[in-house]
Amino acid sequence: MKREKFRRRCLSLFTGLGMILFTTWCFAEEAAAPAGGSEPAKAEAPAAAPAAPAAAAAPAPAPKPDPGGIVTGDRSNVIDAGGNSFLVSEPTDKSDPDYAKKRKEFEEFQAQAAKEPLTLRLADTVGRVRIATNFTWTLITGYLVLFMQAGFALLTCGLVRKKNAAHLMMLNFAAYVFAFLAYYACGFAFQFGAVAVNAAPFNLGGTPTLNQFLLGSGQWGFLGGKGFFLSGAGYDVGSNALTLFEVVFMETAGYIIVGAICERITFWGFVLCELFVGALVYPIFGCWVWGGGWLSQLGATMNFGHGYVDFAGSTVVHAVGGFTAMALAVILGPRIGKYGADGKPRPFPAHNIAFVVIGTFILLFGWMGFNPGSTLGSSDLRISVIAVNTNLAAVAASATAMIFWYFMFGKPDISMACNGMLAGLVAITAPCAFVSPNSAVVIGILAGILVCLGVLFNERVIKVDDPCGAISVHGYCGWLGAVSVGIFADGTYGSGWNGVGATTYLGNAGQGVTGLLYGDVSQFFMQLGGATLCGIYAFGFTYVVFKIVNAIVPLRVDKEAELEGLDIPEFGMLAYPEDAVTEVR
Amino acid sequence: MKMVEAIVKPFKLDEIKDALTKTGIQGMTVGEVKGFGRQKGHTELYRGAEYSVDFLPKVKIQILVPDEKAAQVVEAIVQGARTGKIGDGKIFVTPVEEVIRIRTGERGADAI
Repeated sequence: MKREKFRRRCLSLFTGLGMILFTTWCFAEEAAAPAGGSEPAKAEAPAAAPAAPAAAAAPAPAPKPDPGGIVTGDRSNVIDAGGNSFLVSEPTDKSDPDYAKKRKEFEEFQAQAAKEPLTLRLADTVGRVRIATNFTWTLITGYLVLFMQAGFALLTCGLVRKKNAAHLMMLNFAAYVFAFLAYYACGFAFQFGAVAVNAAPFNLGGTPTLNQFLLGSGQWGFLGGKGFFLSGAGYDVGSNALTLFEVVFMETAGYIIVGAICERITFWGFVLCELFVGALVYPIFGCWVWGGGWLSQLGATMNFGHGYVDFAGSTVVHAVGGFTAMALAVILGPRIGKYGADGKPRPFPAHNIAFVVIGTFILLFGWMGFNPGSTLGSSDLRISVIAVNTNLAAVAASATAMIFWYFMFGKPDISMACNGMLAGLVAITAPCAFVSPNSAVVIGILAGILVCLGVLFNERVIKVDDPCGAISVHGYCGWLGAVSVGIFADGTYGSGWNGVGATTYLGNAGQGVTGLLYGDVSQFFMQLGGATLCGIYAFGFTYVVFKIVNAIVPLRVDKEAELEGLDIPEFGMLAYPEDAVTEVR
Repeated sequence: MKMVEAIVKPFKLDEIKDALTKTGIQGMTVGEVKGFGRQKGHTELYRGAEYSVDFLPKVKIQILVPDEKAAQVVEAIVQGARTGKIGDGKIFVTPVEEVIRIRTGERGADAI
């Protein structure tokens, strides 16, 4: 008992001290930054050149972050519906066959601008308004995604037994808290430190301040290297709009794991899992796909379609969460009594189906931020198609799951109908921007079948105990979502995605991301390979790390606590105290 | 004095209460209980895994009556509780040795 107390105090002190030290270090960094402004410039120059072709002009001054939000959004952000800039940039490549023509266009523009200076000033305002609209959109959709936390909490809490309800709520709550801190410390920098959106000032404006890989360079980046603790280059209005939006995405992966490891993991073990998700497993894969990393660039480097495409995170968020959850569930083993002596699974029925259904609806609502928000700007009018596709896939998958269950077992299972809806949402997350509404329905139907088979497969064949179906919903259907981009993408959207086919693709001008059914085989193989790699990466990385952690200190609560329910042993309070005969003094 | 205890289907409680009030009883005690009789439990599926519901929810009614009223009360319960299907429940009638009203200390038939 005494030793236990000592250990507890040491752990708390170390954590507190660590946080204070880190914060102090950050302040020191920040204070030093303006004074030693030339020092980061030296480091940036070589890395910036290959990453941003536009910035190839030799010794350009180091881009400065804009924490005040004063200079972000000007005439350079004015573009028409076709994505053409209002400004005509000066051609620099003299070997270009069109050089003379471009030169002439540039000079004409300059002459016009000199005659009408008011136009340029007006353009500054138009650009600013466009960026402001996109900021509003990105932040508000981010808040919608944040609300999904409540949905996940209700869904997972409802699906477990009453005796663990408080524990489940606390896990969901702590996931937000700890994973957020980890993402702030290094997750964001690992993911977006090289090519954040403010490095490609398209929808959120700003200057490319996050522009350095920690591992790799150019089109072969493996890990971002700027913006740790959101200081220096990360202290910028455009960058922070992205941070808010991305941190809630990372949190989604954080809650997903709760569904598979609940009812048996210790609280400290769970906190460690969340730090791992927020700092490492999520940001690394995120960097590869969204941070300008090597997977996204395979189109440019190896001619694999448009590179690996995952619009809003079927794999980056959901499959990473799902397969991380799977590795943890394998390490933890099934709950006591889940499998009888005969090896047959025994059900632990949900204690509150109303929570499950409300939670699912909140998640559907939040998904209206998750997918359409991933345009990072409402100036991208594809948002309406994305919203419709997202809903269609959700209802198609839910209907399929109900019919499947009715066909197999005689009654539609409410919890599976909810899982079905989530499966459809997960599967449409990657292709939502690239497919037609009809394809969205087909993807939903496939997801509705896959999620049911996945739940039965996990429970009956491989015997991985997954109380809330998180592995099937997020892991398997996330994989399906990314693959279906490679099948159903119809080429109407995403021209120039990942720097591929900016002018023409497959011989057509403006052709976007295209799937197998519309004539791009390479995109299909890219998606298949990338999605499979995601599963292997997330499962393998998590399995190795937590197998070691588990060998040092067990992640699982002791047997008595598990049988009694984790509420009292872990937190000293019940979700439903009226169930216990208590005495109030 | 007799104690009439009945275990009935929960949704029949209102009808039974109405029938009993008509007989002029002074009071009743009701509790939610679970159990099985000859009908046993039944099996259900949860996410594809079968489980059995061994104990079904029932309502237990207790009424204390003078000897002469017992038959009438039993008849009222039977009228109110019967559906004709399995699981309608049972009624037990037992003699009671002593009754005490706590407030006044009255004993016996006066305390009913």
